Amino acid sequence: MKKQSEEKKYMPEISRREIDELRNAIKATSQKIIAENIERMKKTDINRPEAMQYFDEIANFFGTREKEIRTAKEKGKKVIGYMCLFAPTELILAADAIPVRVNSGWYDTSKLGDRVVPVEVCPMVRSTIGAKMIGLSPYLELSDALISVLTCDGMTKLGEILSDYKPIWTMALPRVKDSTQSMHLWNEEIKTAKGQIEALTGNKIKRKQLKSAIDLTQKATKAFRRLQELRKGSPVIMGRDAMLVNQTYMWDDIKRWTEKTEALCDELEKRARQKIWACPPDTPRVMVTGTPMIWPDNWKLPTLIEEANPQGVLVADELCSSERILYDPVGVDEWSMNDMLNAIGERYLMASTCPCFTSEDGNEDRINWLLNKIKEWNIQGVIYYVIRGCMLHAMEYMRVKKVLDHINIPVYYLDTEYTREDVGQMKTRVEAFLEMLTARVDL
Amino acid sequence: MITVGIDLGTQSVKAVILKDGAVISRGQAFSGFDPAKAAEQAVGEALKKVKLSINDVDHVTATGSGMDMAPYSNSTISMMGADAKAGVYLFPKARTIIDVGAEEARAVKCDEKGFMVDFVVNERCAAGAGAFIEAMARALEVKLEDMGPLSLKAERASPINATCVIFGESDVVTLIHRQESKPEIARAVFDAMADRVSSMVHRLGINPDVVLVGGVAKDDGFVASLKRKLGVDVLIPEYPEFAGALGAALIAVSRVKETQK
Repeated sequence: MKKQSEEKKYMPEISRREIDELRNAIKATSQKIIAENIERMKKTDINRPEAMQYFDEIANFFGTREKEIRTAKEKGKKVIGYMCLFAPTELILAADAIPVRVNSGWYDTSKLGDRVVPVEVCPMVRSTIGAKMIGLSPYLELSDALISVLTCDGMTKLGEILSDYKPIWTMALPRVKDSTQSMHLWNEEIKTAKGQIEALTGNKIKRKQLKSAIDLTQKATKAFRRLQELRKGSPVIMGRDAMLVNQTYMWDDIKRWTEKTEALCDELEKRARQKIWACPPDTPRVMVTGTPMIWPDNWKLPTLIEEANPQGVLVADELCSSERILYDPVGVDEWSMNDMLNAIGERYLMASTCPCFTSEDGNEDRINWLLNKIKEWNIQGVIYYVIRGCMLHAMEYMRVKKVLDHINIPVYYLDTEYTREDVGQMKTRVEAFLEMLTARVDL
Repeated sequence: MITVGIDLGTQSVKAVILKDGAVISRGQAFSGFDPAKAAEQAVGEALKKVKLSINDVDHVTATGSGMDMAPYSNSTISMMGADAKAGVYLFPKARTIIDVGAEEARAVKCDEKGFMVDFVVNERCAAGAGAFIEAMARALEVKLEDMGPLSLKAERASPINATCVIFGESDVVTLIHRQESKPEIARAVFDAMADRVSSMVHRLGINPDVVLVGGVAKDDGFVASLKRKLGVDVLIPEYPEFAGALGAALIAVSRVKETQK
């Protein structure tokens, strides 16, 4: 009989053979989809920036970045994975470990997740479970521990399910964002995470290391914001390309990512001066808000928008898989250890517009983000994107719609699943929405 | 000026011919396995009635789920855009157009020029659409066209849950086992459908006048249920199933005018 400690709490027993067969098949499909997505992005913008080539390479889950992390691990580096954006990346970097985000965008693995949880559960959660079941995600596999932040119900249980395979460090996230107790609890969670990271890596996080880690992410944030700023004017980059750049931050080497993003921005500025546009300047400007869209499979909506007839261009988003990743820098006044830790805590808690929160001041942060984007980025229409099972985003829709109706900005609620089969129906809706925006321009 | 609108729906293809913006002919064919061929038939039939050939046509605009397959097509318009255009053409005061077809229900909010300003579509489920009535008619062993008149004979309503065609059917079986009368079950079917459609319209906001188009608008049982649920009057044109094709043909007129500018 198996010892109780060896038995999995959630995951089914699958034979080695079935795991290998499934992984090989899904990996092959995924490689095809990655290549196909990139080809389509190249086709959409015939003047696609040359600097995108680097990000295309990093976007390959089974390529250079995987090898790089594997090599680093062999030399003794630790890899710390995380799901939600609240994991304190700076502490991971300060302990000389590699942070990687492991949320899965694979459609095929969500069907495997159905063996563990019901289909009503968020497909991103099901897909991550399925990816782990067959060992598909290199970054999830390479992680020595996972930081599981208790945001929504799906994420809370996902951490518990993954504990069948990996050490899980939970971080309790307060649901009331702006109360004194919340900040206090969260700062304590940050300190606990610091201890766990130090214990795993064997590296004590000292003031100097933490300062340089914060410095590193601040520089990344600067590059990141520069890229989003460049999307304010006539389109110099397609939304999908910008989204890919934003998203590769989740698993790339941060210093190199920053350099490459700055180089991309230089190229984009040059394009703007030469008036080389990624698409006609009068293309309807769209923003997406809602549940995350994870590379490579869940690239469905941005692809539809930018390949539609009439075409649209994504110039901004409010997604934790794209613009919310780095939008706010860590703001430090005094570079004391305590101050830095508090600043990190504040940056992760206060900057988030995740609908898992409510707040004492009326939960205005997400609305304010959207209104600011609409105004500054000159947005003509918003697509409110919800994957089935994302109860929190679905529930906040009416709130957002009422505000946008008030300022006469069309918003369309689009719900979908981790599946390729509904692309036809989604296309009908997206094209009708874009047609509506075009008609408004014509008037 | 001769323009043609083709609506390639999931169950049938409809064609409308306009001469200088007024309807002169209509044609229809079952979509079947070859919607493009069905569209040729529908257009051919409509042209034949008024002794015209495709060469006499200035512009063809296609709409419907199969619009990309449309023959002769010079341009396309979304189904929602076509609904808005047709709704306001038929009833100038129309601001909400509800279209219930075989596989999909949608509602469009529009302005006085027939431009849509907002829309909603039932969420990938046929329970709010015509296919639901068909499935339920089968369960009741009643002809599809008899469902409406039957439901109007019901003396009271027995609620069922139309979250999906399959579950709806098992709900109907429960009513059969409870020995409810056929008229009451038929009414339950329309009430459940109307419930879904009306909550969809409510999300958009109900702005009168409200117009109902699409094939299901011909079903008196559904219309009665929908009026009850919405609490407002619902206007229905003479040929509700041709609204999409009409909207497309009207769009074709403006596309011709655009090129003449």
